[in-house]
Amino acid sequence: MRDVAVVAFAQSPCLAANRRDDMAEILLPVVREALGAAGIGRDEIDFYASGSHDFYEGRTFAYIESLDAVGAWPPISESHVEMDAAWAFYEAWAWLQLNEGDIALVYGAGRGSLAADLDQVLPAQLDPYFLTPLRPHRDAIAALQACALISAGLTSERQLAEVVSRSLTAATANPMAQKAGTFAVQDLLAAPYVAAPLRGHDIAPTGDAAAVLVLAAGAAARRLAARPAWVRGIDHRMDTHYPGMRDLTEAGTARLAGERAAAMAGFAPWDVEVAELHTEYSYAEPLLADALGLSGVTVNPSGGPLAGAPATATGLLRIGEAARQLLQGGARRALAHATSGPALQQNLVCLLEADR
Amino acid sequence: MTAALPPAGSIQSPLHMDYTYVAGTGRSLFLRGLAQRRLLARRCPGCAQVYLPPPGFCSRCLTELGEPFELAGTGTVATFCVVNFPFPGQVYDPPYVVAYIQVHGADTRLMHLLREVEPGGVRIGMEVEPVWCPDGELAASMSSIRYYRPVRGTAAGEAGEARA
Repeated sequence: MRDVAVVAFAQSPCLAANRRDDMAEILLPVVREALGAAGIGRDEIDFYASGSHDFYEGRTFAYIESLDAVGAWPPISESHVEMDAAWAFYEAWAWLQLNEGDIALVYGAGRGSLAADLDQVLPAQLDPYFLTPLRPHRDAIAALQACALISAGLTSERQLAEVVSRSLTAATANPMAQKAGTFAVQDLLAAPYVAAPLRGHDIAPTGDAAAVLVLAAGAAARRLAARPAWVRGIDHRMDTHYPGMRDLTEAGTARLAGERAAAMAGFAPWDVEVAELHTEYSYAEPLLADALGLSGVTVNPSGGPLAGAPATATGLLRIGEAARQLLQGGARRALAHATSGPALQQNLVCLLEADR
Repeated sequence: MTAALPPAGSIQSPLHMDYTYVAGTGRSLFLRGLAQRRLLARRCPGCAQVYLPPPGFCSRCLTELGEPFELAGTGTVATFCVVNFPFPGQVYDPPYVVAYIQVHGADTRLMHLLREVEPGGVRIGMEVEPVWCPDGELAASMSSIRYYRPVRGTAAGEAGEARA
């Protein structure tokens, strides 16, 4: 296995709606900042990987526009995933493992604000025969999972409010957060339901932002960062697409991805100091913490997605935030998690470690 | 065993999705110019390429483009094709001409319709000019230019007209 590390991370502020910039204009300053942090020019990038989703953009191959922000001339080697950019990160990591080059740039452009009403759009991502005709509300499947977890005694509405309160308080220290503040648990519990048992604050606020990570292998990583965030283990697993086939009180694919990543890394998810979890809903935190065994681990010190969820950049931001803990902070080990699909259908776990 | 039944034929599941497109600062500058009957180009300070329409920054150098300046809009046909095939939503009856127009003063090509000339009379290198819509219909939209047409009174333009 080749040693591959995150050497730089940058992002744009999470905005509820950016009506000024097109996709390339959102990305360009973030690409510049990441390359500046790594101290390299774009001619040193061997591979580009990105993630976004046309459902959010409302047109086909929308991501092509973003290539103007990385410079597609002279021609570059690049790839795109039609999902959260955390999976583009995985592809770039695999590409470096194949020894195709030494430096890769991964970006995610997430624009959750373009659809006038996500309830028009999100049902189209579901099974066209069994689910789309039912037109479930965008948060309905998540609410089914939350209700199942509460009924099974695995969490409670109070615990969900505590997760939200802690996350939004943490976000007050994150200048890129879309939402932050100090909220008392009892006040949160007094808020009305959106899709019971979920309240508005239990749902990650969608919006617009871009995230950029630079990955480098071996000696290049040591050259570009004083304290590279080495990717010691990474894995992603996927469950069946029909939620009715699953036990929604389990996050089995997150557990399995964690085990596989741990086997690769030589340390377990609970051996980290910090975890950044892709919690699109508050209930995902206790569910994932249990699946990954994260007791005594600081979760989402950035505020996490409950403080800002720029669609398909949200998972990549988790890897960036976890890497930041090693690149700039004092942490030695961190975990990043990303999810895709309804009710935590697909999960990615990445274990990062800094040099001693 | 019963004979296999045919698969379910079809279901109705109509989807309607509304989106807000964000033109961006670069495109907006050009589109606002069109609303004033102006074709605004911008030059890259790095490689000197003149973009029309201009994005916010040079896609080769990734440098912010310079101040906008106006071009007359006339140019030559760089390449063209004749659309012969009817399709749903078509605005003009085929056959009609779609052209890449090398606007004088720009280094990139502008794509538009070519009208007031028979398809058989169009030639690469033909001098063409924009036909703007009436003042009351001007908007921050490409449709402010209705189409391009051969320039009357020039040799290259006349050649096409004569055949038309």
